[in-house]
Amino acid sequence: MRRLTTNPRADWQKRVEKVGLTYHTLADGTPYWDESAYWEFSSAEIDRLEAATAELQMLALAAGDVILDQDRLSQMSIPKAAAAAIRAAWNSEPPAIYGRLDLAYDGNSIKLLEYNADTPTGLLEAAVVQWYWLKDCFPKSDQFNSLHEKLIAKWKDLKEYTTSPVYFAAGSSEEDNITVSYMRDTAEQAGMHTRHISMHQIGWDSKRRCFVDLDNKVMGTIFKLYPWEWMLNEPFGQNALSTLPPDSPLQEYGPRKDRRMWGSMLWIEPIWKMMWSNKALLATLWELNPGHELLLPAYLDGPRNLSSYVRKPLLGREGGGIAVVQEGKVVAGSLDGENAQGYVYQALAPMAKADGKTAVFGSWLIDGEPAGMGIRESSGPITNNTSSFVPHLFH
Amino acid sequence: MRKSREVHLVLLASVALSLTACRDEQQNCVDANNRLLPPSACQTGSSGAHYVYGGSSGGNVGDTVVGSSVTRGGFGSFGGGGGDGGE
Repeated sequence: MRRLTTNPRADWQKRVEKVGLTYHTLADGTPYWDESAYWEFSSAEIDRLEAATAELQMLALAAGDVILDQDRLSQMSIPKAAAAAIRAAWNSEPPAIYGRLDLAYDGNSIKLLEYNADTPTGLLEAAVVQWYWLKDCFPKSDQFNSLHEKLIAKWKDLKEYTTSPVYFAAGSSEEDNITVSYMRDTAEQAGMHTRHISMHQIGWDSKRRCFVDLDNKVMGTIFKLYPWEWMLNEPFGQNALSTLPPDSPLQEYGPRKDRRMWGSMLWIEPIWKMMWSNKALLATLWELNPGHELLLPAYLDGPRNLSSYVRKPLLGREGGGIAVVQEGKVVAGSLDGENAQGYVYQALAPMAKADGKTAVFGSWLIDGEPAGMGIRESSGPITNNTSSFVPHLFH
Repeated sequence: MRKSREVHLVLLASVALSLTACRDEQQNCVDANNRLLPPSACQTGSSGAHYVYGGSSGGNVGDTVVGSSVTRGGFGSFGGGGGDGGE
């Protein structure tokens, strides 16, 4: 694998805007979508990344069982009120679409950094924008990216189990709304009828005990790009739980009237994703699979014997609150202050570094299967919301 | 080949241009007992403050809003008023 520099397409801004990427440039004028470089892989390297993604997904599934069997949700700062709903959702398997494993890969070892399982973004960039970049610049090369096809296929599978329309919701950020709109686009292409609604526009009808849209129509299915941990801490959090098993009774879904414990409202992603998007998962994975080649040592009670490690808040987002310690010295972020939710302490991973950039490889799963990759680059050791997206190809 | 054969978009380009064109209804900021609060209480995320849509009141802080079983604004207050939920 190697990082190569190249000339961006002359009209790259127009080209990426044409496929929906309106947030291609950061506030300081530097490109977020950065096609002045790309990463090149061999087919064998992509095979390894794909296999690692599938293996990590299996480990995460096993970890989910252990977290629930051993009542570990409280260790993860997950509210007690949500425990029964998480357990019910895990067992009844309501629809789940996507997730992104963030991997460290230096050409030798592949290590899991974290699992963005509930609200991953960078999807449009990975599925669409880099696909068009490849078509324009390297049409004979291949790319680890069947995201678009797999998303449409998954929505087609779900068509018989969802009410119509399917609502697509996000907060107010442009990036989230574009991501949701792209997801909605793939659902439309699967033949679904869809509607957009902002999270703050969602209504709760206290007489009918259901969520309603702006026309006060009952919402039966929603794809939300909005974290469950935020929802549960908001005024409608308890209402959301009341739409889920065990509070919500057995329902009939689809033309065959399948009876399932999915609740009166289908929430995609499902509430059990709180277990995987929580960074305590990393410690559970290491505890269950000590020494596994794809995992880094990770602990909840402190760094133990690690002299070089990353301290991550359990519910941290986009690099927030992260501290990097190298040989006992803080080299990024800060260890000052305490976070009520707690931290995970994870060993430093060997990262891909080139041209002053550190790269993280976001490996996507659709319906639990490896489906593509997006690469984020940072000048420092922490990937955050200003880290640029760089395309890739392989031969 | 590991890449998608075709990547067509049917909706996204037009949606990207229209994201700011949201519908609005008459909204009132109320407390847990449906009593009117100043709008700033909902904007700053004060405890229990939320919007209800529809219904009517005398228009003064402390008045009860009646006539709507639907409340809105119970989601979307995190991340600086519903900011980046994605990561």
